[in-house]
Amino acid sequence: MTGWRLFDLAKLLILIGIMSLATGCATTQSINNDGDPDPLEPANRVVFNVTETLDKHLIKPIAESYVDLAPLPVRTSVTNFFNNLGYLNVILNDFLQGKFEQGITDMLRFTYNSTFGIAGLFDVSTPIGMPANIEDFGQTLATWGVDQGSYLYLLGPTSTRDVIDQVPSTLLNPFFYMSGIIFAPISVINAVNTRANLLEASSIRDEAALDTYSFTREAYLQQREFLVHDGNPPATGYDDIFDDGEFADDVSESDSDSDSGMLIIE
Amino acid sequence: MTSPHHSFQRFLRYFIYPGIVFFSTHIWAETEQEKAIQAPVNELHTSLINIMQAAEKQSFQARYDVIEKVVLEYFDSPLIAKVILGRYWKTLDEKSKSEFINLFNRLTISTYVDRFDTYREQSFKDISTEKMKKNRYLVKTEFVRTDDEPVSFNYIVQKENDKWKIISVIANGINDLSLKRADYSAIIKDQGFDALLIDLKEKIRLLQPEI
Repeated sequence: MTGWRLFDLAKLLILIGIMSLATGCATTQSINNDGDPDPLEPANRVVFNVTETLDKHLIKPIAESYVDLAPLPVRTSVTNFFNNLGYLNVILNDFLQGKFEQGITDMLRFTYNSTFGIAGLFDVSTPIGMPANIEDFGQTLATWGVDQGSYLYLLGPTSTRDVIDQVPSTLLNPFFYMSGIIFAPISVINAVNTRANLLEASSIRDEAALDTYSFTREAYLQQREFLVHDGNPPATGYDDIFDDGEFADDVSESDSDSDSGMLIIE
Repeated sequence: MTSPHHSFQRFLRYFIYPGIVFFSTHIWAETEQEKAIQAPVNELHTSLINIMQAAEKQSFQARYDVIEKVVLEYFDSPLIAKVILGRYWKTLDEKSKSEFINLFNRLTISTYVDRFDTYREQSFKDISTEKMKKNRYLVKTEFVRTDDEPVSFNYIVQKENDKWKIISVIANGINDLSLKRADYSAIIKDQGFDALLIDLKEKIRLLQPEI
């Protein structure tokens, strides 16, 4: 067996590992979950600290150098290219969520960008009314009624539900089927470009957060809810923090109107 | 014998005119209430656009003063502080509560001044106002940017002493109140309330070097 065959085998094992981890954690979560979204916090914090240290001393400096060296149009094209490669997963999840019209538009978007956009280097679809959508298997599971599960921190924030997306997103990415000699360097470029795109967001986080781990977790969980509801989560969900029992009596000035419906005024 | 003309006039007088008055008053009252609910959000947005436009001419302190007025008048800071500190709130004495509210306001104002510091034809767009539980309303808006995707900015407003005030800001689905609650409670749990105050002071210092 050649070295590159071994590399392919390793990729497959990683996938199986992710699936096992997700299933295992989901089982643990179903036993232990008492409303705490992060029952694995001690282990998560260890992984978080390791990746943050690695990021601070290695990945972030490389990403910053990449930003300095590569002009914005180049970085935009690199981002477009990788986004386009991953777009088959978006299309699959459009259909799995029953968004057929969006699925067809996204198929057109993928076709246009892959051809007229020269293998996805240019986003020619957004200007003609086909903007990118954000869909993944975690969101699909949510629409099927699967709870968020336990928060996980692996190479970034995720959850026992959302991490399962790694399976379809990897299997639907054409690069997964290429030999390691292409896959490995392309993956490195993708990782550096992804980190470069997150430089501003991580800078805002570091500027605002007192406890970076808790801040990242809360922002991730809320952002996922936002995406699951396609940017329009029910207003009633925001009441929970005021009505969690601790301040239910203090917080509301008028309890006379206690219906929870979403009465649209405008 | 009553003529058809007189019957029609009577019909107008007793049914149609009162109906028009009733519905007009109802619509007017609803519009007035909606304006009152949206007022704190509009005041904040106007001030943010103003400080962005003045970013190159005015000092940090001058822009800070503009936002400070809005935050002190249109944000229900005591309530926000109470919700953020959760169960720790009741363990604090009045002096500590007031110190926390003061620091929290200064951090909020400094953050606004720091983030909204460049004007590139951005604007705020009203989307809708939705009723929540217990006389709270969700005011939905969008921050429209010429060079990027719009950012959703939603606000929860509630009446406090006959005045509508902002009690939470939600940017692209991330509720600032929940975020700070998780963030601050982790610090209190691990290092105590005094450490939280020290951290807040440091964050403020980093944001407003001129003060």
